[in-house]
Amino acid sequence: MPGVWIFAERNDLALELLTVAGGLASQTGVKVTAIVPDQGDQADRCIAGGADEIVLLSPLGEDMSLAAWIPVIAAEAKGADPDILLIAATARGKDFAARLAARLDTGLCSNCTALHREGDGTIVMERLAYGGTAVDRVSCSTRPVMATIPPRTFAPAPADTGRSGEIRKLPLPPSTPVRVIARKTKDRSSQDITEAKTVICVGRGMEKEEDINIARQLAELVGGEVGCTRPISEELHWLPDDLCIGLSGVQVKPDLYVGLGVSGQIQHVTGIRGVRVICAVNKDENAPIFQAADLGIIGDLREVMPRLIEELKKATGR
Amino acid sequence: MPNIIACCKWVIDEAYIRKGPAGALDFSTVDYKISDYDRNAIEEAVCLKGLHGGSVTVLTAGAPEAAKGVKDALSRGAEQAFFAGDPSFNQLESSQTAAILGEIIRSRIPYDLVICGEGSSDQYAQQVGPRLAENLGIPCISYVQKLTIGEDGRILAERRVEEGVEVVEAPLPVLVTVLPEINTPRIPGVRDTLTASKKPVVAIKKEELPPVGAARLQTMGMTATRMERNCEKFAATPEEVARFVGALQKLGVIS
Repeated sequence: MPGVWIFAERNDLALELLTVAGGLASQTGVKVTAIVPDQGDQADRCIAGGADEIVLLSPLGEDMSLAAWIPVIAAEAKGADPDILLIAATARGKDFAARLAARLDTGLCSNCTALHREGDGTIVMERLAYGGTAVDRVSCSTRPVMATIPPRTFAPAPADTGRSGEIRKLPLPPSTPVRVIARKTKDRSSQDITEAKTVICVGRGMEKEEDINIARQLAELVGGEVGCTRPISEELHWLPDDLCIGLSGVQVKPDLYVGLGVSGQIQHVTGIRGVRVICAVNKDENAPIFQAADLGIIGDLREVMPRLIEELKKATGR
Repeated sequence: MPNIIACCKWVIDEAYIRKGPAGALDFSTVDYKISDYDRNAIEEAVCLKGLHGGSVTVLTAGAPEAAKGVKDALSRGAEQAFFAGDPSFNQLESSQTAAILGEIIRSRIPYDLVICGEGSSDQYAQQVGPRLAENLGIPCISYVQKLTIGEDGRILAERRVEEGVEVVEAPLPVLVTVLPEINTPRIPGVRDTLTASKKPVVAIKKEELPPVGAARLQTMGMTATRMERNCEKFAATPEEVARFVGALQKLGVIS
């Protein structure tokens, strides 16, 4: 049966996928099915966001992993044969999607950033390759066409409370050999940098861990948050992983980004593509970041930062 | 004592790709490397062997030139390699790679644990690990930042997920995909490189494997990503820094 299916482990992500699913489904006049965990008013919100059918996943036992649903969803998809299946690209979602694609013996476009239907009906999907150097445009010859879509790629679908839809519930799946024995929620580093209006990014050019205070001072002055490049969180452990910006970290889209001692490797630059104004301070005038920046100061951080902070104080009257 | 397989991929080093006119990509001067996170996979396998004994086998499929990568992988502490090399194995799609690796493992390599990087440096599709687990019919634990094998032969893994960490356990055999945070890969020395050339490599011909299915995804075109930015530069002098701040004000990004 033709249709566009979405699966997201969180409601906010389901609404983002519904934006895309709604557009694709209306082109061919098919229904949108949302597969979501049975939590609160999730079903009503998805219906308001454009879903025609809601498939609710009953709450799993504490020690069960989301992957327990894979065989159940695979059986559902084999039975209903949807045209398209979109999955929110969280860590669990990406794992889920790849295993589901294997079971359905179909193609999966990972971390898909754009997709559209061509005149002949082919779904063309875009994704980044080579660390962000290239955009790869792919199509899928088997059914269903599958894609994982990173959070915040699309705006959430607006709510239309006048809509109606069918709701059905799936029974609990059997448990799997993988048992979840603990879930640790991390201490959110003050604020989510993906929501910040300004991001000050610390790079390898910072000489000492204490120098991060300069970034913090700057962030405080302009009302922003501090993020970092992969070596800072992964190798030096100066800042937590959730502040790491880049292809394998978080993607940020603030109005202003200032990279301090950031060299500008492609994987990092990929994470700041959507920034409105990119600025950089680096002593190496050949650093690739200057090719990716709107405004760049070439100079030693120790020399530049006091001057920058002084001028910013003057300009902002703080 | 666990038999561990570490999977790896020989990829184009993206740092050497040049951007030509009109979005063209120039691969004429590229060099190759072991995919970044596969180094973490091999390192983790070798560390676990150091703790528990057993064996470490590296496994790869690719173009015949990937033989260089096999040697590189062996210099990182694995004791033997299985290599399926064929010109048609260049640029395999995730579903094809998983099918080839799965076939080789099932028919030729006894194992308790398979370790893959979370994703490759070239495609970063993050699919081969999970697809391979499905192919082998074993549990998959992805995005692992800490891995322990218990006395009872169960595996304990910390997975990094959006809201924090999910600690899971499972009986072997299992497939895990590892994050770069899990360890710091060793840098092979001259001696490691020399001993690597003496280690056994089992070469597998395409003809010895069942036919590889068609790619499930087709690339219709690839273009260079564009970053259209002003690239205006300022010096570090007080006057220039003041001009920089003035520019920020004009753009309306500070207030």
